[in-house]
Amino acid sequence: MYTDKVMDHFSNPRNVGEIKDADGVGEVGNPVCGDMMSFYIKVEDDRIVDVKFKTFGCVAAISVSSMVSEMAMGKTLQEVKSITNKAVAEALDGLPKEKMHCSNLGAEALSKAIEDYERRSGKVKNDG
Amino acid sequence: MKFVKDIPADETLDLVCRMCPMHLLEPGDRLKCMKKGQVLEVLTDYDGALEDIPAWCRKCGQDFIGIEEDEECYKLYIKKAK
Amino acid sequence: MNRAYLDHASATPVRKQVIDAMLPYFDLHFGNPSTVYDMGSKVKMVIEEQRAKVAGLIGAKAEDIIFTSSGAEANNLAIKGVALGRQKKGKHIIVSAIEHHSVLNSARFLERLDFEVTFLPVDQFGIVDPERLRSAITPDTILASIGHASNEIGTLQRTAELGSICREKGVVFHTDAVASVGNVRTDVNELNVDLLSLSGSSLGAPKGIGALYFRENIRLMPLIHGGIQENGRRAGTENVPGIVGLGTAAEFALEELPEKTEYVRKLRDLLIAGIRERVDKAKLTGHPEQRLPGHASFCFEAIEGESLIFLLTQGGIYANTGSACASKALKTSPVLVAIGVPPDLAQGSVVFTIDKSNTFEEIGYVLEKLPPAVNRLRMMSPLWGREALAYTEAVCT
Repeated sequence: MYTDKVMDHFSNPRNVGEIKDADGVGEVGNPVCGDMMSFYIKVEDDRIVDVKFKTFGCVAAISVSSMVSEMAMGKTLQEVKSITNKAVAEALDGLPKEKMHCSNLGAEALSKAIEDYERRSGKVKNDG
Repeated sequence: MKFVKDIPADETLDLVCRMCPMHLLEPGDRLKCMKKGQVLEVLTDYDGALEDIPAWCRKCGQDFIGIEEDEECYKLYIKKAK
Repeated sequence: MNRAYLDHASATPVRKQVIDAMLPYFDLHFGNPSTVYDMGSKVKMVIEEQRAKVAGLIGAKAEDIIFTSSGAEANNLAIKGVALGRQKKGKHIIVSAIEHHSVLNSARFLERLDFEVTFLPVDQFGIVDPERLRSAITPDTILASIGHASNEIGTLQRTAELGSICREKGVVFHTDAVASVGNVRTDVNELNVDLLSLSGSSLGAPKGIGALYFRENIRLMPLIHGGIQENGRRAGTENVPGIVGLGTAAEFALEELPEKTEYVRKLRDLLIAGIRERVDKAKLTGHPEQRLPGHASFCFEAIEGESLIFLLTQGGIYANTGSACASKALKTSPVLVAIGVPPDLAQGSVVFTIDKSNTFEEIGYVLEKLPPAVNRLRMMSPLWGREALAYTEAVCT
């Protein structure tokens, strides 16, 4: 069902945890639906210097979160914003089609963390 | 087609919902276990039985008594002749 | 590596004696049972012998058994066959909310043919209250179908009482006994059932064979039309090796039942007690006592079932899950919803089904590996340690 890359990220997830004084936090999903991801980022000079996640979800959800965190680490916000769910799935050598929505969630959670950072740092006008 | 009413039967064979050719196979099996002169009542919802069963009776030497139409199904009466 | 296969409800190995009994029917006695010459008629006789063995397992007469391709087909034949056969008498059908998909979807299909279906709610343990059934029956009711036991939560129904009520009211009563045959005593007369479905794969027979018991004189509309196999009730050239496998397995099941029941119950109770002791916030689903002797099902808070299953398989432990992700439909298990398990907790569902081939050592191994696996997922989970999120609780009247 799952590729070796997916199983590797599931068995050895990178960057699990929380950042207490995170610069941005993004949470998506809903345990009622079966997947929930929380991403925490630390930003310096527009670059992600630390990223952590916590995920409630299936093998795909956990491995997507891990891959997204790996892809985001050390990148500029601009680079991270252009990470697509397709790119995440490809990086994992593919996901079963009924699990593709997990890759959407991963990219979305990270986006939300960045949005949160930008809102907090006043970089984006808060449209309430 | 010979229509009858209120024929007393010694045994009833319910073949409602059963598909062709069960209406020709099962009466024969049941009649084997019955005595000569006894009457078998066959219940069927299959239109084809109305012609098939009398024809079968003629072929096998059994007495076909007649048909009664019920609200749920047809009732065909066979008297064991041999 | 240590191994513990605890998913016998999904699939269980076919024993050598069953395979040996089947083999000659592939290449030696390969005749079609419908042919007129002796190669066929001899095989036909063997089929009838197997029919009697299956009947013997459930206290039925051989002529009241129809061989099918599966338990699902048997359920389809029971529900649709009876509904279509009795529709002149009425068009109301009752099923429980926790039936297998093959029963529920057959009933939903009949709704499209203008049948009315009542889905009976269950209590927090999954039990159908017989009085609830009684009050749901109307003069238009022709069929009720309530499974003998649930493969998902293990609960055993008060089937004999339910059957008795149906008999009193002239309603045909079907039970899906796929989960129970071979695991507990299932006698069609004791249970007061008019139809009963069973599956080979739960009995140690091969997959792809099942059977439907029907009490004589029940009008059953065939679903598969064609030749006169199965006395005109289910056409199609018979799966002879499968039938031989089913009959042989049924004989073993009958003989071994008392001993098996006692043994697996001990393993189950050990597993349940061990999990309750070692894993925090673990909810046993289904009835604590009135359950299949080898069935242990839990929902673990704050984690998701598929992930737990994969972690367990990495340690050589095989179990099942009812969580939404694992089910390709991505829907929360309707059974867990029906018993009032909150949808987020329902995600953390794991089902262990034990057979007589399992050992105390294997249970010990599971109790060793399960708690750290649950903890690992909880450490990763944003929900662990948080206040319970607001959710809509399933209505369980």
